Amino acid sequence: MDNVCEEEVFNSIFKSNSKTVFNYIYYKFGNEEKAYDAVQEAFVKLWENCAKVPPQKAKSFVYTVANNMYLNVLKAEKVRMKYADKSEKTSNESPEFLLEEKEFKEKLDRALNSLPENQRTVFLLNRIDGKKYAEIAEIEGVGIKAIEKRMHLALKTLREQIDGI
Amino acid sequence: MKENYLAKWLNNELSEQELAEFKRSEAFASYEKIIGASESLEAPTFDLERALHDFKKARESSDKKVVRLHPSRYLMRIAAAITVLFAATYFYISSLDETFSTDYAQRTEVVLPDASEVLLNADSKLSYSARKWDEERNLSLEGEAFFKVAKGKKFTVATDAGTVSVLGTQFNVESRKGFFEVTCFEGLVSVNFQGTERKLPAGTSFMVINGTVLPAETPSASEPSWIRNESTFKSIPLLYVFDEFQRQYDIKVETNNIDLQQLFTGSFSNTNINLALQSISAPSQIKYSLEKNKVLFYAENAP
Repeated sequence: MDNVCEEEVFNSIFKSNSKTVFNYIYYKFGNEEKAYDAVQEAFVKLWENCAKVPPQKAKSFVYTVANNMYLNVLKAEKVRMKYADKSEKTSNESPEFLLEEKEFKEKLDRALNSLPENQRTVFLLNRIDGKKYAEIAEIEGVGIKAIEKRMHLALKTLREQIDGI
Repeated sequence: MKENYLAKWLNNELSEQELAEFKRSEAFASYEKIIGASESLEAPTFDLERALHDFKKARESSDKKVVRLHPSRYLMRIAAAITVLFAATYFYISSLDETFSTDYAQRTEVVLPDASEVLLNADSKLSYSARKWDEERNLSLEGEAFFKVAKGKKFTVATDAGTVSVLGTQFNVESRKGFFEVTCFEGLVSVNFQGTERKLPAGTSFMVINGTVLPAETPSASEPSWIRNESTFKSIPLLYVFDEFQRQYDIKVETNNIDLQQLFTGSFSNTNINLALQSISAPSQIKYSLEKNKVLFYAENAP
């Protein structure tokens, strides 16, 4: 059976999960530097415990370590999201449309920041990282139903914020 | 609407009918716009290669640390355990009283922390707390001992019969079953017996036999005779003379037809048993026979 202590196995776990671990911590706390440190910490811990952690558990192991690292320690900061400017490339849109779109993105940013961190994390993991609900459930260590609930509430709250309801 | 329908909609899990209903709702356009805008959302850049490189560096140093630290951590644990054990033992032992005791036919000399001397006669036990000695000079005694007390704070000897306290002097205390005698050879001794305090100046004795205070003879020497290997008695019932004989020679004394309350005055050697037996029997007009481990005293006119 594959062993996490083997360099190849470990590297493949690192490559396929480190970015998501980084994003996951960033979505929660809004601090890039801390998110980067969390990735390092989580994988060092995984390496130290490689003999005890079976490969199929390695993934949830690193998310748990990364999350626990800042649990109750780090105060959530403002999450600053970037937008891929697709519109600029095909920019034969009117300035009014572009302005409106810019305003809408600002509203969305504010709304995202006002979400509870667990709703924001689920929403962004799904929207940006394309993670399925089942996978997010594994990361967060809860059931799929709970993730669906968070996703539903996230979208509902975003709309209420943006539409000013 | 279905529970968590927004989540199901994003996951394409709504039935056609449900979807149609949702699309008709007022909020649908807003939701669609939000999802549309979120398509262009991006997470901050994450440099995987750099992260992996940094990780390997961190891992190397942590690997080194692990190799170095584990054995020493283990040793530290053992060292800590041993230290705790030693400390605990030390405190336990130092909190115990110092005890000296003598058996039959034994004698010992004890020098106390303040250089006071104690000579312990046969079958006696002396104990004191060395840790508290600087605060209070307290000893407890069972049996007989001669004290040469260095000047200092109050020096107290507790016995079952009474307590004796002094400031600096030489005195003898004998506390045996039914017999309590204090003799002061130098300085001033205070004896507390049954709540009454008596001052014994140099050259006086205080004696209690079976609870009765008796007039004691004044000592003629400057130290008790047992120090010179002689047991001396002045008008003491034979019973106690025999007890002392047993203690000095570690031998069993039996009597036959003898009045143990008969008073005895004299002394016996603590080193020569035949001489001692003669010293006891001749003035009391009794006879004795010495066997291997016992002595039988019997009346002259007894069969």
